[in-house]
Amino acid sequence: MKQNRGLVSTPCIKSGGCGTLFGVRLVNVSYRYGRRGPWVLREVDVTVAPGEVAVVLGRNGAGKSTLLQIAAGVLRPSGGAVRDRPQPVGWVPERFPADQPFTVRDYLEAMARVGGGGEPAPWIERLGLTPYAGTKLGELSKGTAQKVGLAQALLRSPRLLVLDEPWEGLDAAARELVPDIVGEVTAAGGAVLVSDHRGETARLPGATTWTVAGNTVTAGAPETDEDEVVLEIRVAAAQADDALAALRAAGHDVVRVRRSATSQSGGRS
Amino acid sequence: MIVALVRMRLAAFLRTGRALAPLIAALVVLGILYGGGAARAGEAYGVSAVVLFPVLAWQTKLLLDIEPDVQRRLARVSLGPRREAVAGLLAAGVAAGGTALLALGVPWVIGGIAGPGIASGLAWGVWAHLLAACAGVALGAVASRATTRSALYGVAVLSVGVVGGLVFGLKSSIAPWLAPPLLATARALTAAPGPDLGDTLALSGQALAWSAVVLAAYGWLRRTRS
Repeated sequence: MKQNRGLVSTPCIKSGGCGTLFGVRLVNVSYRYGRRGPWVLREVDVTVAPGEVAVVLGRNGAGKSTLLQIAAGVLRPSGGAVRDRPQPVGWVPERFPADQPFTVRDYLEAMARVGGGGEPAPWIERLGLTPYAGTKLGELSKGTAQKVGLAQALLRSPRLLVLDEPWEGLDAAARELVPDIVGEVTAAGGAVLVSDHRGETARLPGATTWTVAGNTVTAGAPETDEDEVVLEIRVAAAQADDALAALRAAGHDVVRVRRSATSQSGGRS
Repeated sequence: MIVALVRMRLAAFLRTGRALAPLIAALVVLGILYGGGAARAGEAYGVSAVVLFPVLAWQTKLLLDIEPDVQRRLARVSLGPRREAVAGLLAAGVAAGGTALLALGVPWVIGGIAGPGIASGLAWGVWAHLLAACAGVALGAVASRATTRSALYGVAVLSVGVVGGLVFGLKSSIAPWLAPPLLATARALTAAPGPDLGDTLALSGQALAWSAVVLAAYGWLRRTRS
C-alpha cells in the first residue's frame, strides 16, 4: 500500500492556523461504497484553507468525485471525519440532474428557498440563461443544464465551493466565467475544490494541485508517462487474482493480463 | 427551508403525473370496497384503512423515487442529511394525508356509509387512517431507492412489507407484533361496541412503535447510503 503523505496544502492565508476559521479539513478520511466494497480512499488528510483553490487530478475512477463529495458533505466518510466545513456549501455535480419537471427559473427559485436565500435572477443573466429561463430542465442541452448546476451552487454565496468537472459541456463564454467565479469566492474568504481531467487547470493560476491515485491523495500533478515503467510479472495462475488485487491496492495501474498463450483478457484498470 | 423542500418534492410529484397512479389505485380499491352496499362508518373505515395501507406505501415510494439521486444529494448539501430526509417523510406524509382524506370522503359520495353512529364512526375512521398513513409512509420510505438502491430490491421490500404486514396481522398470527395493527384495528371497529380506551391506546402504541422501528431502519440506511 502506498503511504499517505499526510498532505496539508498551503498557504493558510488567515492567522490562527489551517482549519480554525473557514477551511475544510479531511482528517484520516477513508471511504468505500458498501460495507464490503473496495476502499476508494484510505486515511486521507487534506486541508483547503480559506482563500485557497485546490485542483484535484487523477485518472477516471481514481476517487476524485468521491473526495469532492465527502468534502461537500454529500457522502459520509466510512472512517475519519470532515472538520470545519464552512457553510454554506455550493456543490456542482459532474452531471446536473436535468430529469426534473421544472423550468430553469422555477428550479433556481425553489433551490434558493431550500437553501434559505439567494437571488436567482443575477445568476440567470450572468450565465447566459435568460433565453432559457422558461425552458424545462429536461429540454436543455447538456452544457446549458450544467450552467443551471453552476447557478444553483452559487445562489447562497458559498464559503466552500466544490466543482466536479465544471468545464464539462460548457461553451467558451461560460468556461471563461468559471475562473472569475472561483476568484470571487476565494476573494471573499471562501475555499474552492475543483476536479479536472480536461487540462483546464491553467485557467486557475495559483491553485494547489492534488492527485488522487492508489486510494490516497498526494500533492502535485500526477506522474506523466515518462515517469513510469511497464513491468511484466509472471505468477502462478491460482495466485493471479490475489496478485492483481494486491497490485491495484498498492496503487499500481495494471495494464494487461495475459492468462494463457491462447486467451488474453484485461485492460487498463 | 424544510418546507421549501417539501413543496418542491410535492410539486415534482404532481407535475410528473406520478401522483395519478396511486390516486387511481386508491379510487379502484375504494370503489370495490364500497361497491357492494352501505356499511356502518366505523366498520367501513376500518377495512378502508387496511386496503389503503399498500396504496399509501406505494405512493410514498413513488414520491421519494421521483427525485433524481443527484438532486437528492444537492438538497442534502443545502439542508444537511437529517433535514433532507425529514423533508421527504413530511412530503410523503402530506400526500398520504390527502389520500386518506379522499378515502374518508369517497364513501359519502357513493353512498357507502349508512346506519347510526356516523360522527363517532368518522372519528374512528380518522384514527384508523392515521395509523395506516404512519405505517404506509414508513414502509414506502424504507422501500425507496435512496435505501434499497435498485428497483428490484425496492419492489421486493414493498411487497414483503405489505404481504407480511397483512399476514402477520391476521387473527391467528403467531407474531402479530411484526405487523402494523391495521387488521386488528378493523376487527376492533367491526365488533360491537367498538374499541375501548385500552384497545385504542394499545393499537395506537403498536402502530406508532412499528412505524418508529421501520423509520429508524430508514434513518440508519440513509446515514450509510447516499
